[in-house]
Amino acid sequence: MKKKKRILVVEDEKNLCLLYREELRKEGYEVVATTDSLRAIELIKKRNFDLIITDIRMPVKDGLELIADIMAIKRDIPVIINTAYQSYRHDFMTWAAEAYLIKSTSLDELKAKIKELIG
Amino acid sequence: MSELRKDIIGGRWVIIAAERSRRPDDFRPKTETRKVETGKFCPFCPGNENKTPPEVFAIRKRGTLPDQPGWLVRVVPNKFPALVRGDAPALNRSENNLFFWMEGIGVHEVIIESPDHQREMADLSLAHLEKILETYRQRITEIQVEKQYRYIHLFKNKGPEAGASLAHPHSQLIATPIVPKRIQEELRSSKELKEKFGRCIFCHLIEEELKKGERVVYQNEHFCVVTPFAPRFPFELRLYPLRHSAWFSGIKENEIKSLARTIKFLLGRLKKVLSDPPYNFYIHQGPNPTSTRDCPDGLAEYYHWHFEIIPVLSRVAGFEWGTGFYINPISPEASAGFLRKEKQDL
Repeated sequence: MKKKKRILVVEDEKNLCLLYREELRKEGYEVVATTDSLRAIELIKKRNFDLIITDIRMPVKDGLELIADIMAIKRDIPVIINTAYQSYRHDFMTWAAEAYLIKSTSLDELKAKIKELIG
Repeated sequence: MSELRKDIIGGRWVIIAAERSRRPDDFRPKTETRKVETGKFCPFCPGNENKTPPEVFAIRKRGTLPDQPGWLVRVVPNKFPALVRGDAPALNRSENNLFFWMEGIGVHEVIIESPDHQREMADLSLAHLEKILETYRQRITEIQVEKQYRYIHLFKNKGPEAGASLAHPHSQLIATPIVPKRIQEELRSSKELKEKFGRCIFCHLIEEELKKGERVVYQNEHFCVVTPFAPRFPFELRLYPLRHSAWFSGIKENEIKSLARTIKFLLGRLKKVLSDPPYNFYIHQGPNPTSTRDCPDGLAEYYHWHFEIIPVLSRVAGFEWGTGFYINPISPEASAGFLRKEKQDL
């Protein structure tokens, strides 16, 4: 049996976090989701992920700081930024990510990008 | 795609990159500023070339491959740009002629000035500065071929207070399908003043400033740096070529060498006198010369390209935003005095 690709979702809004987890599981991925960016670092250190999806505006450690940490730990994991804000495009730290998506009620764009990056 | 919209009263175009925000207060900036320097990862550093789009230009060590380490100056398109390349957009207008808009096309490139993350432009060698300036010329010249980009703006933000999001030294180039309002105003006024004085107003002012000397900060055989007579900000500077030309792309090889010396001098002085301030600099030049509608006969004679350099030492507030008046707490003569150096050892 083919091994499922494992995705980490980091999203501080609990309901959105659950929504992403359920929707991506339906697509056949193994999904670990957390609302806490510090917890995300622990998870990345302990487990292997094929892809990370992260929000930017989060308490304690924002998504851009999280991405810098991810790059210091495992540089080759592709990252998708999934945010409500266009304005972070001006921040060149976003370039560490493979994609910059604007949150939408439809997850089609997010799913298509995941498929493009990890199949 | 983003959209360009025109304010018909102010005559100003803005880029609208709409986002699906949830509440109006989401637009308020966070009170704490993210540290520019995380010390952990930088997408501009050598070894991270796979985190940028493929390079469009680079000056490299011999034998090194594109998008691999070995570059000295590297230019890449913006990975997540607000404006994207496209054909000349149509100008749309509402039936009542109140609202004007067009597709947000453009070019946005990042010039990574050095592989060294820590070394600021002020601390680079003259030979390296020449490479950066040659890169500016090359990119502007190449983009000028595409006449839908009517103006090419080259600028640098240094420090978070000046808008830089990464500490790794870089400049940026944005080409737009409209000629910005400030450039239009300078063009209009320099045309009128040419008619009044019978010569390029910039050449006229440079000659007077050099004669008077009290606002001159630096001069060599091809360039001078002065504090303008009516500066908006403390220590605001203008860098003028002594040879009249409307476009930066016309700069000659020996002038690039002189310009590198000029920039090294003035950034070095800003760093020393103002304790390494954040700053912005940008080039003002004529509109894309391949666009005949933006470059009428005579423009080459009445416009004169130059750099504007603005150390970020004060904040623009209600009075300045509302009136366009600026209150400057230091005279340009005093600023020039601080920045000047008796022995110009470059």
